[in-house]
Amino acid sequence: MSDHPEEPLISALLEEEDAQKNTVKPTGFLPIETNWFDRLFISVVIWIALCLFWFRFIEPLGLSIWIANASAAALAFIIIKKG
Amino acid sequence: MQSKRLGWILLAPTLVILFFFGVLPFIYVVYVSFHSWNPFAVNPEMVFNGADNFRKIVFDSAFLNSVGVTVMFVFFAVLSELIIGYFLAQAFMRDFPGKAIFRTIHTLPLIMAPIIVGSVWKLMTTPSIGIIPHYLDEWFGISMNIGTSAPAAFATIVIMDIWHWTPLVTLTLIAALVSLPQDPFEQAQIDGAGKRQIFWHITLPMIAPAVVATVFIRLMDALRTVDEVWMLTGGGPGSATRFVGVHIFKEVFPKTNYGYGSTISVIVLYLTIVSCWLLYVTMLAPRSKKD
Repeated sequence: MSDHPEEPLISALLEEEDAQKNTVKPTGFLPIETNWFDRLFISVVIWIALCLFWFRFIEPLGLSIWIANASAAALAFIIIKKG
Repeated sequence: MQSKRLGWILLAPTLVILFFFGVLPFIYVVYVSFHSWNPFAVNPEMVFNGADNFRKIVFDSAFLNSVGVTVMFVFFAVLSELIIGYFLAQAFMRDFPGKAIFRTIHTLPLIMAPIIVGSVWKLMTTPSIGIIPHYLDEWFGISMNIGTSAPAAFATIVIMDIWHWTPLVTLTLIAALVSLPQDPFEQAQIDGAGKRQIFWHITLPMIAPAVVATVFIRLMDALRTVDEVWMLTGGGPGSATRFVGVHIFKEVFPKTNYGYGSTISVIVLYLTIVSCWLLYVTMLAPRSKKD
């Protein structure tokens, strides 16, 4: 028998608290769990796709590719910071 | 600390080899892709042309067509290999007479070099001397000529790839099936689950990592198929079997257009990485609904 009947309860509470700490993850707008490298990768993928799309459909209309680059850079910043 | 240092020391040879044979050539290809370079021309110097190669590639109908043909090839070949490979793996999980011999024979295509596979299939499908057109004609009255019929050429390449690579899928899936614990299957049977339910709810989720790994390997391999196709059809008839690998080969070697060839390679690499990543995210990555 334990001399401290409260002890198991306290340890259970602490364990629960630890478990909660471990399960709390930073939230972002991406639908999957990511680390910073994943978000960098996603940004580069989107950057390239956007530039190719721009070359094919937007640049012939007269808009410079630098607009696509600026937009992609801004998007990359948002994704890495808040994704 | 000691074990960390030992880890890096043991990794060092691999990292050095990877750097010199993987990373460095990749960086060089990316560098060349921003240049116009024909080393065998009158002016063999590399001339920086910014993103002009990338500007050109999105309007290059031959390249876009080759991407379409490749995607179709990958879809039919990899899906068929996965389905046939799974059934073969299930068959090899049971005992039947001559299993060991059959398994050895079934694995033989794997050890053949792709160029040999292409040559053998070329012999088998050449209209005047090949065994396949001969029996197709004799038994079914079908005349097959992969030199003139685009669907026949494409189908032959898909079948050739299935014949060549299904054993790899089978072996991987056998390894995955063997390692499955028996308890969930027994419990499901006790609960009255049917074979179909067991497959969809137990077997498939449990072998999903192996399936995805196999699809990764086959996807990457199929996207860069060159030698078999080059040997069998040379990309023809017309551009029916001009896969991206063949397109790059034609751009780089006969035309010696190294800059543009590198650009196509970079884009193909991009497409390969993105497809594999999408596959990984949709099938394996842990999902969590975030509020």
